[in-house]
Amino acid sequence: MTCFKKVAPGLCWLKSMISLVILLPGLVMLFPVQAWALQTHGPPEAIIVHQMAHVFYLGALVYLFWDLRRTATRGRGWRMLQIFCVLMMAWNVLAFIGHLSTLAMQSTDFSHEFGYLSSMMLGPFSAIKLVHYFTRLDHLILVPALLILFLSLRSLYRSSEEGEEL
Amino acid sequence: MTSLPLFPAIFTDMAGSGLIIILSALSLRYAYLLTRRDPDNFLWGFLFYFCITLTIFSISRAVGHLVKQMLLIGGQGELWNELSPFSGGLNTLLMISLSAVIVFYHKGVEGYQAIRRKALSLKEANERLNEAADQLRKMNLHLEERVEARTAELSASEQKFRHFFSNSKDMVYFCNAENRLVNMNRSGLEMLGYSVDNPPTLGLVDLFLHEEDLEQYFNSILRDGFVRDQEVEFVKKDGSVLYVHLSANGVFDEDGEFTGCEGIAKDLTRVKLMMGQLAGSEKMASVGQMAAGVAHEINTPLGVILGYAQLMMDDFGPETEERQNLEIIERQTKACRKIVADLLKFSRQSESAREQLSLNEVIRDVLAVTEHTLNMNHITVHRHLTPDLPLVIGDSEKLRQVFVNFINNAHHAMEEKGGGDLFLETRSLPESGEVEVMVRDTGHGIPEKIRAQIFDPFFTTKSVGKGTGLGLSVSYGIIQEQGGRIEVESLAASEAQGPELPGTAFHVYLPVLPADLTSELTL
Repeated sequence: MTCFKKVAPGLCWLKSMISLVILLPGLVMLFPVQAWALQTHGPPEAIIVHQMAHVFYLGALVYLFWDLRRTATRGRGWRMLQIFCVLMMAWNVLAFIGHLSTLAMQSTDFSHEFGYLSSMMLGPFSAIKLVHYFTRLDHLILVPALLILFLSLRSLYRSSEEGEEL
Repeated sequence: MTSLPLFPAIFTDMAGSGLIIILSALSLRYAYLLTRRDPDNFLWGFLFYFCITLTIFSISRAVGHLVKQMLLIGGQGELWNELSPFSGGLNTLLMISLSAVIVFYHKGVEGYQAIRRKALSLKEANERLNEAADQLRKMNLHLEERVEARTAELSASEQKFRHFFSNSKDMVYFCNAENRLVNMNRSGLEMLGYSVDNPPTLGLVDLFLHEEDLEQYFNSILRDGFVRDQEVEFVKKDGSVLYVHLSANGVFDEDGEFTGCEGIAKDLTRVKLMMGQLAGSEKMASVGQMAAGVAHEINTPLGVILGYAQLMMDDFGPETEERQNLEIIERQTKACRKIVADLLKFSRQSESAREQLSLNEVIRDVLAVTEHTLNMNHITVHRHLTPDLPLVIGDSEKLRQVFVNFINNAHHAMEEKGGGDLFLETRSLPESGEVEVMVRDTGHGIPEKIRAQIFDPFFTTKSVGKGTGLGLSVSYGIIQEQGGRIEVESLAASEAQGPELPGTAFHVYLPVLPADLTSELTL
């Protein structure tokens, strides 16, 4: 709605709102349709969201790595932070693949006959089974990544203690 | 191989979970220490928030994994199946948060770095500014020193020129564009006869006696920028003339416009007088030479005429007409010989005695002879003879003749008025080493136009028969011969104004006998 007369902007907006409130009940009653207020979330959504989170995390790490390479390459601490980024990116990729491979696994592929600690992955071994097996060892990447992060921060702390240019 | 054990994976998962918690906690500690050390550093802030999120994520994930493994080991698989979505959802949420922290905080880091670069740039600029300010301050300090030194130089220079201006014995003046005198030194004001304490407002036009001189002055200033050695006549306060030797410079601005002038004028009055006296002396010397030559040439025939006349007188009786005619010839010839003798005295060809004498005595001798005659003609004689007058060297006979001449002239000048006063003064002038005798009358005075001729031989204003015109000439010659000089002051009756009385004063200056010679002559 347009105010043709020269009036104050606030007054024009108030007149428009009053007109809409008056007209709204009539429009609702004249044109009724089916309304879905809430959307249901099925079981696959959790893994999709989780995988998307891995992708988002991977993207954030790529960005951080690129930015560190671009701006803060001087000093041992910053170089180790870049290594942390690379390892964490690798872990994300591994975790992403691991989650995908889990979806391909069947309950018959595992045997818990002698207890959980003696569980076995049964053959015959396909590539997907082998990939799944190794992706379950993701801490072999994640732990070194966090170790590198720890060393990096310690190095930065010591460098700042010595007053070096960061 | 038909199967693979899962124990390595289970062990790695559990051990790794524990290590992850420890390592993330240690990382968080160092990130925290970094922020404590430098709270304003945005990079440390980013790392700290990143580590917080990572630690929460790591703890969440590791605890989830440990709980899972523990439950599965304990045969509580169903329970884990119920907890698993919560653990997975929390891990997903924390992973997204961690990603968001990386992206958003790191964008902040970029902003921080940009600000930091700006801050560094500003800091550098500030440092440069401080350096520049420091240099400026040093320069300013140096400048102050230079200004002080320059001011001292200027002060010394100003003092030097002020001293020159104030103490110069010549006239120094400055005038403005309107040719008004804006400044004149003490000597200049004194030369012009104005008060030094209350100097008048004068223009150059008030100073110059002749307009053509002023015109020549300005033409030279405007054409050449200066005036060099111009002899001009200035008008003094009392209207008398001041002869000056003038040099001046024009002052012009950047556009070449005349803004004033500055000049120095040297008093030439005394030099003019001396030049006049010198010219007179030279003239008198040449006249004396001529007179001496004439006297010598005439003296011989006069002697022959006198001799023959006296011889012929013996041939005639005393009462005869021839004898009377010869006596006339003898008398007139002797008169001629006296004139010739006077001429020789004027030309200083006659012999002079040199004896120490007192001019007071000479004056008294002269008055003893002439005073009676003067009194008879109603002329009163006033004596002001300084006692203990220093002795002089000279010929007393000739000096008596000099003063007789002066007194006779005074007598004749006052005789026409029926009397008057005759002043005779003597005084010592120790500063010049001279003795002065002044003979002043109250007669009719000497007109200015003949004043320069009075010492010329045969120049006289007396009627025929009353004087030969040799009296002052002879006096001049005698005084010159004695090493002295004569000055004349005279105001003719036609020139006298107001209370001034006409009359003539002759000043005779003779050198005092030096003390050593005095003792020698006394002995």
